[in-house]
Amino acid sequence: MTVIKFNNVTKSYRTHSVLDHMDFTIEEGVLTGVIGRNGVGKSTLMKISAGYIQATSGEVQVFSENPFNSLKVSANSILVDDTMSFSDKLSLSDILKEANRFYLNWDAQLAQRLFDYFSFHPDVRHKHLSKGKKSTFNAIIGIASHCPLTIFDEPTTGMDTAVRKDFYRALLKDYIANPRTILLSSHHLEEIEDLLEDILLIHDGKIRFHGPITDLQEMLVKLVGKKVNVLAHTSKRTIFGSQVNGAYSEVLVENKFTADEKIRLSEEGIKMIPVSANDAYVALTTGAKGGIDDVFNRTATD
Amino acid sequence: MFDMDASKLIYIQIADWIETEIIDRTLKPDEKVHSQYQLAELFNINPATAGKGLTLLLEAKILYKRRGLGTFVAPDGREKLLAKRKEETLRKLITKLLDEARLLDVDDNQLLSMIEAERDRKKEGLL
Repeated sequence: MTVIKFNNVTKSYRTHSVLDHMDFTIEEGVLTGVIGRNGVGKSTLMKISAGYIQATSGEVQVFSENPFNSLKVSANSILVDDTMSFSDKLSLSDILKEANRFYLNWDAQLAQRLFDYFSFHPDVRHKHLSKGKKSTFNAIIGIASHCPLTIFDEPTTGMDTAVRKDFYRALLKDYIANPRTILLSSHHLEEIEDLLEDILLIHDGKIRFHGPITDLQEMLVKLVGKKVNVLAHTSKRTIFGSQVNGAYSEVLVENKFTADEKIRLSEEGIKMIPVSANDAYVALTTGAKGGIDDVFNRTATD
Repeated sequence: MFDMDASKLIYIQIADWIETEIIDRTLKPDEKVHSQYQLAELFNINPATAGKGLTLLLEAKILYKRRGLGTFVAPDGREKLLAKRKEETLRKLITKLLDEARLLDVDDNQLLSMIEAERDRKKEGLL
């Protein structure tokens, strides 16, 4: 079953379009990573999916309904981000009690165990929590709600390394026990890549890649060997990135080699090394502006 | 996270791990293998990715499926793996040997007689 469907969706703020004629579908039960550079529209996409804001044009369907002003979508989804707000009149333990009334699938036991594990004080108000603690509390709400569509927008902001690890582990264990559709965004793909089934890669307002994370990992390959030898094999291919270390060079190319070509590569001492999803992502989203080094090189020659 | 051989993709690492369990007899013929969900939890990875590791071994007929019961080690799974690993390891070593010989200007006849001489020396040593 399809849970989210974007059909030719555009979202503009004044004259700047963030999402540019976007098409994709998210199937039920898949844990998808929403990945992209800063300001690329990840949060916008998530807010539209949860019905918080409307698209400028195009058709959005969540659980077969337009999510904006939809009670069905509202009751079956949760969006966890750092702007989640709770009433100042309620203590943290009151919030858990209210969540129990509000969310149909709320797992009160799990919520309480996580609450105790992360050492929250029941009487504290949400607004008095530190940045990292706020994120942790919001993440507990997101996990324990067991909503059929659960969306986490940069849930680990401010969390320390140990808590981030615990959160991802908790999310995975809970997802295995209670499979549901999850969208998860993070700037740190390397932290979440083993957790994901699919990846939705946004670049320049469009979908640059959408599919199993293993397909992204196998899309590119790194050739490492003597500069001349590597050059002979890569001159007619699209190069996604390269680095030279003395007489040796590393070149990222598409993983399209015939069996014969692979034998020749190994004969010439060229190694084919798999690429992490993170390396592939950086290679696919580095624009025509080049890298940060080019900024300084240009200044030097001006 | 899980990092046995970072130069391999995670689902291939999972398949390798199960292969080793079969070769060292931790997993016996017709014994049940971890489900994709158990593997996912064990290695902290997505269940779909763990499932891909199992699929690799199912396709190679190292494992077989029993409907509703799970995935099991094929009766001849260990033999198949041994044969495969022998073939792969030996071929790799031979390729290396040939590369080194070419680098040192050792021609085929020289190399073959060196192999024979080494084999004879070993035989004598064993006697």
